[in-house]
Amino acid sequence: MIDLLRTLRAPFLSVLGALAIGAVLMLATGHDPLEAYAAMASGALAGRNFSNLAATLARATPIVGMGLAAAIAFRAGFFNLGGEGQLVLGGLAAAVVALTSPFPAPVTLLASIVAAAAAGGMYAWLAAFFQIRFEVPLLISTLLLNYPAQSFGSYLTNHPLRDVPSGMAQTETLPAAVELPALVAGGRLHWGVLIVLALALVIAFLVSRSVGGYHARVAGLNVQFLKYGGIDTDKLGYRVMFLSGAVAGIIGSIQVLAVHHRFIDGSLTQPLYAWTGLMVALLARSRPLGVLVGGIFFAAVQTGGFGMERATDVPREISIVIQALIILLVAARTRFEFGKTAGAGGAA
Amino acid sequence: MSAQTSVPILELRGITKRFGDTLANDGIDLSVDAGEIRAVVGENGAGKSTLMSILYGMYRPDSGEIFVGGVKRTFRSPVDAIAAGMGMVHQHFMLFPSMTVAENIVYGAEPTALGVFDHRAANDRVAQMSDRYGLEVDPRARVADLTVGVRQRVEILKMLHRGADILILDEPTSVLTPLERDALFRVIKLLADDGKTVLFITHKLPEVFALSDSITVLRDGRVQSSVSTSDATPETLARDIVGSDLTSAPRPEAAIPGYRVLDVEHLVVRDEFGRNVVDDVSLTVRRGEILGIAGAAGSGQRELVEAIAGDRRVHSGRIAMADTEMANAPVASKRKAGLSYIPGERDDVGLAVEASVTDNLLLGSESKPGFSPRGLIRPGKALAHAARLIEDYDIKVASQRQTPAQLSGGNRQKLVVARELHLAQRLIIAEEPTRGLDIRSTEFIRGKLLEQKSYAGILLVSADLGELLKLADRIIVMFEGRIAGELVAGSAGESEIGALMTGVASASAGGGAADD
Repeated sequence: MIDLLRTLRAPFLSVLGALAIGAVLMLATGHDPLEAYAAMASGALAGRNFSNLAATLARATPIVGMGLAAAIAFRAGFFNLGGEGQLVLGGLAAAVVALTSPFPAPVTLLASIVAAAAAGGMYAWLAAFFQIRFEVPLLISTLLLNYPAQSFGSYLTNHPLRDVPSGMAQTETLPAAVELPALVAGGRLHWGVLIVLALALVIAFLVSRSVGGYHARVAGLNVQFLKYGGIDTDKLGYRVMFLSGAVAGIIGSIQVLAVHHRFIDGSLTQPLYAWTGLMVALLARSRPLGVLVGGIFFAAVQTGGFGMERATDVPREISIVIQALIILLVAARTRFEFGKTAGAGGAA
Repeated sequence: MSAQTSVPILELRGITKRFGDTLANDGIDLSVDAGEIRAVVGENGAGKSTLMSILYGMYRPDSGEIFVGGVKRTFRSPVDAIAAGMGMVHQHFMLFPSMTVAENIVYGAEPTALGVFDHRAANDRVAQMSDRYGLEVDPRARVADLTVGVRQRVEILKMLHRGADILILDEPTSVLTPLERDALFRVIKLLADDGKTVLFITHKLPEVFALSDSITVLRDGRVQSSVSTSDATPETLARDIVGSDLTSAPRPEAAIPGYRVLDVEHLVVRDEFGRNVVDDVSLTVRRGEILGIAGAAGSGQRELVEAIAGDRRVHSGRIAMADTEMANAPVASKRKAGLSYIPGERDDVGLAVEASVTDNLLLGSESKPGFSPRGLIRPGKALAHAARLIEDYDIKVASQRQTPAQLSGGNRQKLVVARELHLAQRLIIAEEPTRGLDIRSTEFIRGKLLEQKSYAGILLVSADLGELLKLADRIIVMFEGRIAGELVAGSAGESEIGALMTGVASASAGGGAADD
């Protein structure tokens, strides 16, 4: 219990600090922070039939998902910054399978999701391969692999798969039966929300209980220790990166199959799901359940920002500032704590 | 010490430096004349490096005074030391690999023309200096393209360029080939003839006699002796270094060695420069015995262990564990063959210091029967496993969720020892198992190792001769990557080992090298 409180203290203080600095910024520009934050809270959580809360949860789905994808890799010490590319390839794979599959809708739906996981996973695996075989730093390869994936998506939606009548860079609408349906007819919540919730729980379980999760956790703290113990860290690297990319791919398929019902060029990258997810993973120190909570919080700040802009004259950009401040404060704290333990280790 | 007519160029009075509970330097007095070559020798931890760091301004002494040319000096940083005429060549060179020799040498005191770096002047200056001291270098060559021996020359020239009169060389030959070493010695003699003073730190006694005018032996942070080289013999020196208070304690009954658990034959391991750091080493460990490996730091014992227990590349030769070939085999296969390994780098390799105590004790057992049915670790089993080891090894932890970073050095080492000995089946490799530990932990770990002799064969690498004499049945002494000699414990004396370690004696000296 005390451990739990200690774990929660850093992110909690960071959030508090960011809100305080945000308040100072509002005061400095002549706005009332209390009014603005009240509007933000109501914009994130209230609304008729809690419609704002539903909007927050729908927005949280890809953020939490991408946070999980990043957290899997980070936890094991692999810097996968390629979530965006893996997300796009997942979305593309899902759309292509859904558009071309000769099978009945339920089978096609499942095949779309599996294809998305495979596409995202293989793309991340590729970066691991470059690192292990040719010593290309993962940080660089994953980041750079984002661009060809995006361009490939643009190419497909502009040329071979373009829905010409619409005049937009997007595929045709998927067959109506091939979709992840809404939980409540007409509502914004869909089956993808439950899939991501399940992913968070399963990943949390595997990280803490499985042999592979044990190896990944320890690898993130000291990979030399694992090698010394005779664990094949290359194999671990391939697996971790594949899983991380596969989760990103599944998130891509959820957005395509539940929200857009087609692949729209830029629809997965422009909202910065991958990067927000990355921030959430940092905030949660790569704990899957922490990502769940943190992702919902970040989504609430974003949807709340819209509500705040509608209700007051505070621009919603302030919510982006708050997000960034949270991460800065978390990073500052991490550094501070690192210094502390290094000192303790040296003195002992 | 005869009365001196001139003022010593360097004089230290009562230098004392304490790190925590350790007295690294304890009232050191030292006096060196201009043009003198002084060898500073002593075991690991005798205080040589601390003393030299103080001389170069990297540490400030807790008490004591430094006089250079009769003038009292206080060094707040290496900048002060350099200004006073000190120059230090470290074991690890401090050069910019991507820049030229001349650029490196003039760094910090660059010649300029119109405020711009003057390449031609720099190159000329370096060429002149290199002629004068016989230090052949090409001023325009890039440091990255140079051999180790030439890089060292660049370091020396850099010090001379800054106007150093007193040169400190920290184990300068440890990285050199014999030819490079001879060249270095000629240079050092030239420098001394030119009036420069040289402080020369080494483990190797032949070098002391080949080069120095006088010798200072440090032991346990104090000056053990300071003599003129002509008054010393290798035997007196070895005794001063090791100390006479070491006695081989009563030993447990010699066990009857059983089957071979480790066979190493003609093993060669190379470093990144292609030098043989382990050079034609053969040894055998049998069940029921402890084979000790002695040697000065950097004599190849570390690389030998890395090749046997880790994933260090074997160039040629055989490593067999219980008759299975293991040279260049993955660590997993070695572990499966029954290897336990207590590494010298306890915190960087032997532990994940930020993971929980439970997770640290689990490694190697997580896939054993009963621990993880269907790939899922049973938390109760992992906790019970850790609890049992904590109990058996008397490890002081407040909770199993503590991390090793929160524990003392002795308890951290006990974690490693507990985990590894629990896994032990056939072969245990223990590298410096008691380094830095207090007496209680040391005795405890030694007792546990002796216990294991009933089940396994043990290879024990230690810089602590007392430990080897106490625990090992046989001792192999390594020097410059080779086996300098093998001694049967009981008959082995510390001066004998000391002589082998420092290259004074070679071949299998000592009473009856073979098993009887």
